[in-house]
Amino acid sequence: MGVLRIILQIVGIVVLILAVTIITLRIDNQDADGPSILFPGGKLVSGELYAGFEPDWSFTDEVQTIELQLVNPLSSRTIFIMESDGKVYIPSGYMRSTLGRIWKDWAFQADEGDGLAVARINGVRYERQLIRVKEGPVLDGIVAKMATKYNPGATPATPEAIKAGRESIEVGNTWIFEMAPRGAQLDEN
Amino acid sequence: MKTKNYLILCATVTVAVVLGVLYVPGLSDTIEQVMLVFLATNAR
Repeated sequence: MGVLRIILQIVGIVVLILAVTIITLRIDNQDADGPSILFPGGKLVSGELYAGFEPDWSFTDEVQTIELQLVNPLSSRTIFIMESDGKVYIPSGYMRSTLGRIWKDWAFQADEGDGLAVARINGVRYERQLIRVKEGPVLDGIVAKMATKYNPGATPATPEAIKAGRESIEVGNTWIFEMAPRGAQLDEN
Repeated sequence: MKTKNYLILCATVTVAVVLGVLYVPGLSDTIEQVMLVFLATNAR
């Protein structure tokens, strides 16, 4: 009985440390000007707000992660970015797993809501609209860019890697959003 | 450990963890990177 009590107390301390750590990080970040590595932040406030013609997004090839804020609900997170064929996209993986659903709740909110977002890239804020891309030949270019950019060993992306990545998107394991100009509609293709 | 002492330990640990996460330079980043690796490995 005494040994069981000690074991339960140790387990309790470990669980307490994990819970307090997560809660502290979450609360500490929730109103910050941008996200931390893992935990959502608040509204993106600092940085010039971009105005003008659609940028040449190829500069994002040199950018590993961006800060993305949804307008509703208002929260921000750190995320990958890929440019393909002049347009810019963001991924959300692990969407069919339980942990992924908890971790990537923003993707569900963007897909089900209005998709209005602000992206901060190299300190400049861009007002965008997230439009989920589920299928179409456009996926090949996106998957190829994702594979070469975030898996350098796969340069250039093999047809097998592109096929596997595309299947992952089409079955809903990975979600892709186009960061389109505000008010844009998904191209039919 | 008696319940009273255990609760005191829990309260002490809670305060220590909060202060450590908030004020020890680099600790929160290290914790988040470990959590990120854990999620990327186990969220499949």
